[in-house]
Amino acid sequence: MKRACLLLAALALALGVATADDAKKKKPPVPAPAPAAKPAPPAAPAAKAAAAATPTLTADQSAFFENKIRPLLANQCLKCHSTAEGKVKGGLALDTREGVLKGGDSGPAVIPGNPDKSPLIRAVRYTDPNLQMPPKGEKLTDAQVADLVAWVRMGAPDPRSGAAKGKYANAGERKVWWAFQPVKLTPAPAVQNNAWAANPVDNYILAKLEEKNLKPSGPAEKQVLIRRLYFDLIGLPPTPAEVDAFVADKSPTAYAQLVDKLLASPHYGERWSRHWLDVARYSDTIGDPAKKRESPAYPFAWTYRDYVVKAFNDDKPYDQFIREQLAADRLPNNKDRTTLAALGFITVGDHFDGNRDDIINDRIDVVTKAFNGLTVACARCHDHMFDPIPTKDYYALHGIFSNVEEPKELPIIATADKTKYADYLKEKAALDKAQTELVAQAKAAKATKNKGNKKELQKEALQLEVRTDRLDITHPGAPVRAMVVQDVDKPKDSPVYIRGEKENKGELVPRRYLEVFRQPNAKPFVSGSGRLELAYSIANKNNPLTARVLVNRVWQHHFGEGFVQTPDDFGTMSTPPSHPELLDYLSTYLTDNGWSVKKLHRLILLSATYQQASTDNPRFAQLDPFNRLLWRQNVRRLEFEPLRDSILAMAGSLDATMGGRPVNLGGGDDNNPGKDKAKAGSLRPQGNYSTRRTLYGYIDRANVAEVLNHFDFAPPEMPNGKRYQTTVPQQALFLMNNALVIEQARKIVERPDFKGVEDEEKRIAFLYRLIYQRTPTAQEIQLGQAFFDEAPAPGQTAAAPAPTVQAAPVRVAAKKGRLPLAAPRTTPRPLSAWAEYAHALILANEFTFVN
Amino acid sequence: MNPLEHQAQLADRFLTRRQWLNRFGMGMGAVGLGALLGEEVRAAASAADLNPLAPKSPHFPAKAKRVIHIFAQGAPSHIDTWDPKPALTKNDGKSISGGNGVAFGSPFKFTPQGRSGIEFSEVFPSLAKHADSMAVVRSLHTDIPAHEVATVFMNTGSVRLAKPSLGAWTLYGLGSENQNMPGFISLRPGGGAPGGAQNYQAAFLPGVFQGSSINTQAQSVDQMIENIRNNYLAPKEQRRQLDLVHQLNAIHSQNLQKDAQLEARIESFEMAYKMQTAATDAFDISKEPENVRSLYGSSAQGKQLLIARRLVERGVRFVQVWASGWDHHNDLADRLRQKAGEIDGPAAALLTDLKQRGMLENTLVIWGGEFGRKPTRDKNGNADPGRDHNNRAFSHWLAGGGVKGGTVWGATDEFGGSAVKDKVHIHDYHATLLALLGFDHEKLTYRYNGRDFRLTDNFGKVVKGIIA
Repeated sequence: MKRACLLLAALALALGVATADDAKKKKPPVPAPAPAAKPAPPAAPAAKAAAAATPTLTADQSAFFENKIRPLLANQCLKCHSTAEGKVKGGLALDTREGVLKGGDSGPAVIPGNPDKSPLIRAVRYTDPNLQMPPKGEKLTDAQVADLVAWVRMGAPDPRSGAAKGKYANAGERKVWWAFQPVKLTPAPAVQNNAWAANPVDNYILAKLEEKNLKPSGPAEKQVLIRRLYFDLIGLPPTPAEVDAFVADKSPTAYAQLVDKLLASPHYGERWSRHWLDVARYSDTIGDPAKKRESPAYPFAWTYRDYVVKAFNDDKPYDQFIREQLAADRLPNNKDRTTLAALGFITVGDHFDGNRDDIINDRIDVVTKAFNGLTVACARCHDHMFDPIPTKDYYALHGIFSNVEEPKELPIIATADKTKYADYLKEKAALDKAQTELVAQAKAAKATKNKGNKKELQKEALQLEVRTDRLDITHPGAPVRAMVVQDVDKPKDSPVYIRGEKENKGELVPRRYLEVFRQPNAKPFVSGSGRLELAYSIANKNNPLTARVLVNRVWQHHFGEGFVQTPDDFGTMSTPPSHPELLDYLSTYLTDNGWSVKKLHRLILLSATYQQASTDNPRFAQLDPFNRLLWRQNVRRLEFEPLRDSILAMAGSLDATMGGRPVNLGGGDDNNPGKDKAKAGSLRPQGNYSTRRTLYGYIDRANVAEVLNHFDFAPPEMPNGKRYQTTVPQQALFLMNNALVIEQARKIVERPDFKGVEDEEKRIAFLYRLIYQRTPTAQEIQLGQAFFDEAPAPGQTAAAPAPTVQAAPVRVAAKKGRLPLAAPRTTPRPLSAWAEYAHALILANEFTFVN
Repeated sequence: MNPLEHQAQLADRFLTRRQWLNRFGMGMGAVGLGALLGEEVRAAASAADLNPLAPKSPHFPAKAKRVIHIFAQGAPSHIDTWDPKPALTKNDGKSISGGNGVAFGSPFKFTPQGRSGIEFSEVFPSLAKHADSMAVVRSLHTDIPAHEVATVFMNTGSVRLAKPSLGAWTLYGLGSENQNMPGFISLRPGGGAPGGAQNYQAAFLPGVFQGSSINTQAQSVDQMIENIRNNYLAPKEQRRQLDLVHQLNAIHSQNLQKDAQLEARIESFEMAYKMQTAATDAFDISKEPENVRSLYGSSAQGKQLLIARRLVERGVRFVQVWASGWDHHNDLADRLRQKAGEIDGPAAALLTDLKQRGMLENTLVIWGGEFGRKPTRDKNGNADPGRDHNNRAFSHWLAGGGVKGGTVWGATDEFGGSAVKDKVHIHDYHATLLALLGFDHEKLTYRYNGRDFRLTDNFGKVVKGIIA
């Protein structure tokens, strides 16, 4: 990937240009390639800048260039030296004037007016054995060389501008991109239907709707609204009693009170932390378990997860949340040691087999995407193709992260009771002693230069490390530690790695944040690694992206789509926001209200926009097929976590315990059955399948459980602000056949409050209220009754005993380290028709989609 | 089909309908256009269109429709298999220039086979009969001679960053011909390969393109594929239950927009229902006639390759088959012979079987490891020597699916230490494999985080010489 950015970006640019034309010509438009999703450029300024920068060629110059030079360059040079073609050998692109003048890694290709000093001329003349182009003896004809010489002599007139392609040719032009402008508060627009607006959010939405002659939808029914709100805020359904109470409460503040109640629920943090953990590429392991240099587990990654849950629940101001995740250890007056766990944001990433620069790259990537929606990691090998992010910016950040280290002994942030702790210490001491002995042996081996022995010792050292991790993961007396980083004693700036190559060092870059955000006279970072100053630069009202990116994330999870549809990329390749003024209004609201995320939720949730029905309006759908203007609420699909959690909750099986070490949700390591004990499998949580919330499941970066993959879980290899939404049969198979799901359906109809209902009709209603949070229609009741009427005699519905289940004793599965996804492995008890029916309700779309 | 359109349709199948339409370039400010096309567009985005696994045409017509990739993990010695080095044999036991060690002539005899006269090591007597169907590439080279890194590199074209695997790209590009089965399946006889899931990952491609890893040594299909069987309900009763679900869904859809997402989900349940039988059937080799089973033999590899054939026969697009254990640092003479013996018969059986069914023409079969081995004795070797790792030269063979049979491509130096003639880097190899499938490797791209990625990074040159 390192060297890929340039080409790919160039390719995208080229394709993007082609399709912009296509779109104009073709009718009806064929599906344009993905690059067409790129934003329309902010037309006026960019066009002006481009025009200003384009020199006017005389007719003669133009004719000469078009007849002689353009074809020559195209046929002889551009194959290897063109951003559009995707090859920029030696960093030299000859397909734009800017490229020719800027030159490649060794400087400008052409000195206008001076052929003899122009490397391009020297190369084509074949006089320098080290610089001959085109290569491999395919020398140009004398006439062609003469043409090039003549062209350079006349000043290398060249009408080809990168900007002429309609994009941002240089950093200066890219800086006019909306996202780099300060947040600007425009007054809430006036609207015709003033009565509809519940708060200023609605003014911004309604103004755009009215502009297009669209109307908002009516308010959602209360049953719909409460279900929506519960899933949005806590990821669990309301109980029938809660629905009844809300529907019955006619007070005008009933809804606002419900919002407040849910924001105050500890389940709120469990729901919203997961959104952030997707972005923070959270995992309980380092990455690939087959790499044998270090223990694969992060025994304390969960302390970061719990920190995030608590931060959301406590409504920790977002700026503080940022500062703690970047520099909790360096914050002045930070007395709360538990906040050290916040630094897991930096440390829970992939370990890349110990490759330092890749680890730094991952950290740069997560920081810039998570907080500022920018793909700075693309500037590792070359200046960012689309955004005003020079390579120097990347190495300014590289300088910060190359000066942090993870201490050998992580700090303790909580301890268990004394007896257990003492026991832990005893076991730990034994391991430490073994460690010391091993070091002594290693020294001895070094002295005798015994290579074979050395390998053996390394293996032992690794096993010790794994055993220590296992102790920390399993022992009830193990103290709780934070996955911190600390700054090195003598921080140093990093040099630019030319083309991303470590051996190829360029100038030193002072540590600081991105140029596009910087004041011209800003001083470089000097305090330690610079993390603290970085934290302050990001958690800052004046940073134009910090608040916007967060607001966009919150909005996305309330509406299914953000203002900006690529939450981790606000750069020039993203689609501009649907409602820029509203985005800025909400950003200002956030910062004005002490960066309170809960207040932001409240404002959004109390808007009439949020409370709209989600029913379709075919006429409006024609005018705004993507509902970007929000003439209705979007219908959304539950992610895996709320899906599984709800099934458990309805059956009364959900274990609501919060926090702590990760639990076994099965799956996973079957892909890597243990070849040796140093693998993640041996550090996987043991014990029975857990019925706790999915959030607490063990996440193995290298082997995410298959069921999570099938349900579009965010891969912890990279920051993910938005999950895919695929629909594959494996999802259906899980719901149809997995014992976990089926046994919950059984439990639902074994609930005493269900069994107490005698009447068939009332029983159906009970299940509708429990599973769909509404009462069934007459039609639906009939459908249910018909299902029971046609049910075969009891005993005729059961599956033939699966021979395979018996052929696969539990022992075998356990031996391989694979934990069954749900307990039952023996022949299952037959299902009653009622359980089958409850299961059917869970399978149907209504359960998975939120209106 | 225009490659650009191709790409767009693919990329857009995983999005919500709204996003999908947005990618048409009809976002904000294009309401007029949207209005004009609204109905058409809505109709077009039916559930079937949103199925990312629907079969698709590649960029240009090509013979290969499916792939069986036999991964000889552990780095087989090319010098003892596909790249005979008489000069090395002549110098056996002597120190060779540039070899940094003592020459180790191959203990195996090579003889020309078939009309093409490709030289075969004696360890592959059965495969030798297929010489004229095979193309041997002798000039492969890779970046790093470490098993795991190189294995993942061979499968994803990336040394360490998470990139989609060859199978995922293939499935993304071509979809699957069988909607009742996963389109990309990775078969392993028990243990996993170094690098684990990275070798069949989807990375930033949607998860639906991820390979499904299946342990062919598992005792039952239930163990091979999660949730493939319902242990509670008889099929007839499950059908009755699903019919109820469909009726519930119909009521549910009445009030909502005829949303492609809802429809896609309804279809996925039908697919899942059929998959229960289809997948069970595909993996059940007892359904093969006795003569076919004996052709493949009863070994682990025989079983795997027979399953592989059953899978491609059913339209599975890409089957990765792990046939590991080639890391012969010592005792190569015995161990390599044994290892080769495990795959020789089954692989030959696979080619014979595919030919007999007229499927070889459209099925690309490839065999090879992640790098090669050195011409010298491994310093760690004992009296029975082996060879150390060598990333500068190794061999693969390909057959079927538009491959020019009876070809030898490229050459290593006289001792086999480095590829010297018509060198093929992994990126070139990938470009070639994609070309055999009908793709311009520079155009099979996926947009992630604002830019377009491809399998071959920004490299790759198609080896035209092995394409028929």
